[in-house]
Amino acid sequence: MEVFIQQVINGLSLGGIYALIALGYTMVYGIIELINFAHGDVYTLGSFFSIAIIGLLDASGQLHGLPLFGVLVATVVGSMVLCGMVGVLLERLAYRRLRNAPRLAPLITAIGASFILENIMQLWRGPSPIPFPNVVPNKTWFFGGISVSSNEVLVVATALILMAILQTFIRNTKLGKAMRATAQDRAAAQLMGININTTIALTFFIGSALAGVGGFVSGVYYGSTWFYNGFEAGLKAFTAAVLGGIGNMAGAMLGGFVIGMVESLTAGFISDQWATVAVFVLLVLVLIFRPSGLLGEVLPEKV
Amino acid sequence: MSRRSLARFVAFAATLSMFGASVTFAPASAADQVIKIGVDLPVSGADASDGIPTQNGAALAIEEANAKAPAGFKFEMDALDDAVGGVHNPQQGATNIRSLAADPAVMGVVGPFNSNVAAAEIPVSNETGLPLISPSNTNPTLTKTAKYRTSHPDVITYFRVCATDDVQGKAGAEFAKQLGFKKVYIIDDNETYGLGLANVFDQNFKAMGGTVLGHDHITANQQDFKALLTKVAATHPDAVYYGGTTSTGGGLVRQQMGSAGMDPTKIAYVGGDGISDAEFLKVAGDAANNSYYTVAAPDAEKSPSAQAFIKAYKAKFHSDIGAYSANGYVAAQVIIAAVEKAIKDNGGKMPTRAQVLKNIQNTSNFHSIIGTFGFDKNGDTTSPVISLWKVANGKQEFVKQANVAAR
Repeated sequence: MEVFIQQVINGLSLGGIYALIALGYTMVYGIIELINFAHGDVYTLGSFFSIAIIGLLDASGQLHGLPLFGVLVATVVGSMVLCGMVGVLLERLAYRRLRNAPRLAPLITAIGASFILENIMQLWRGPSPIPFPNVVPNKTWFFGGISVSSNEVLVVATALILMAILQTFIRNTKLGKAMRATAQDRAAAQLMGININTTIALTFFIGSALAGVGGFVSGVYYGSTWFYNGFEAGLKAFTAAVLGGIGNMAGAMLGGFVIGMVESLTAGFISDQWATVAVFVLLVLVLIFRPSGLLGEVLPEKV
Repeated sequence: MSRRSLARFVAFAATLSMFGASVTFAPASAADQVIKIGVDLPVSGADASDGIPTQNGAALAIEEANAKAPAGFKFEMDALDDAVGGVHNPQQGATNIRSLAADPAVMGVVGPFNSNVAAAEIPVSNETGLPLISPSNTNPTLTKTAKYRTSHPDVITYFRVCATDDVQGKAGAEFAKQLGFKKVYIIDDNETYGLGLANVFDQNFKAMGGTVLGHDHITANQQDFKALLTKVAATHPDAVYYGGTTSTGGGLVRQQMGSAGMDPTKIAYVGGDGISDAEFLKVAGDAANNSYYTVAAPDAEKSPSAQAFIKAYKAKFHSDIGAYSANGYVAAQVIIAAVEKAIKDNGGKMPTRAQVLKNIQNTSNFHSIIGTFGFDKNGDTTSPVISLWKVANGKQEFVKQANVAAR
């Protein structure tokens, strides 16, 4: 029983990371109907940027209190801004021209962008896993036979808090309304005076910033990062977004946690090798029986 | 002249001059005839800390051979990389061997480093008759079965100067027993080498009275081992045995043990030569301490006959030797000796690959810095060596040489 709960906790943490990445996928898809395959690599870039920022701040050893808070804020904000900029750059250079092209073109471009980012990271820090600086103290609490570490709480809390902030932003601000309008009908939004380019760029910025936080959080959680992480994590987060209903933000969160749990529980109780298989089998089943995803709108076919 | 006919004229002139140049340069063999020794190792990326020291060993042997090459000949190294994206890649290895085989000046190849790459290369070597001597492949099926000799099952073109995993896994199990571990959980990377080694360890550890709590496989490129390690932690092992290389997860598994509830200072990590590289220390960080591993090569630093080699290596490459540098050196020496013998038997003429292969097959009583050995009828060394090492204080330390019977 205890092992089960332990694996559930593992699943929640993994799910939190997938949820953060899935939010970016779903936002971009919602607004320009593009599956941004490079998004997983923006997530990895987030961890690389975090390592660089912590290195710049010359923070070593475990910190407490104000210095810890300062370093955390600087690193999170820094990686959010940098990743956001990478997202905006990607959109500007790779995707903007292809907005009206047939759907295959931006898709292939996204895959190409993914390769470019992966190889830039490989050239930057080498092809081996890189240790993440150990600045966040990791306390473990024991409840009976179950241990919960503060890193796990950090991952889940970050995901939930950021989603709450995001939902508030989308619902209650003018920019959020502009994003929703552009997602609904791009031409009409333009007619209403919304600057499409700025809105789309903002969407990419926010989505990538979330991935950046995801990268930081995953670096703390795993203690290491690797240039190739984004590929697998991105694939699974994309699955999570589709599972929850692509275009739907609550769906992305839900999908993230579901995928995280399925992966952890399969790895823990069946076998590590079947974990990825289970995730994709679930995706296939959902797409067959409920193609719009768990929380997606079932759009009636217009005849 | 019209533009089109100008283009045609330029093309014609260029072709003519190239033809003329080749005709002029062809009979330039007043210089030495070149004999190439191919090298196929993973020298980029995560496996580079395995491949580069080994390649350096071979390069040193070739340089020393050149200093006393037979008259009219000189040796050159043709080194290729079989790593793709930083990890050893079997398809790339097979492609490399094909391109080396197509070059008639290549008389033999030192490599590969990894057993799954050898599985792809041996069929090519068998088909083309290009001798392949590995410094470090340890999977037994590569030589003890004819599985990979797809074209000519009875012709041995693949050899190795290191011990095999049936010896290494057994030595690993004995080592674990000697260190006092009674309950071990085994994890392997599901590759040719890792799976084979882990299975041998599994069988032998059980036969020696130890308890194997479980045996799991990971897939390559995995980053998250939390779920698996939580499962392992629940079984309360004394040690975790990892069959596989650092590049496929050996380092990350060890590094994540701590956060999954297994204190690395209390629960040891045992492995094979796959975690004998410097990369393991980097990736596992502090958790690398309290790790033990076997290497299918002697520790050259401890051998008196190898001291000259070590000095020459340090002088040329400005770094310490790697676990398989001596093996790479000796593998190259075997090929060179076979070539030199063929030249002598030939009366000073350029040897054929078939002659060199025959000489390698007949290697016996070969004195080298890793001992005196020959190749048996399968291409295995007649004098296998297993060394036992540990990681302490962030450094790799030689413990002792294991007691293995020569087969």
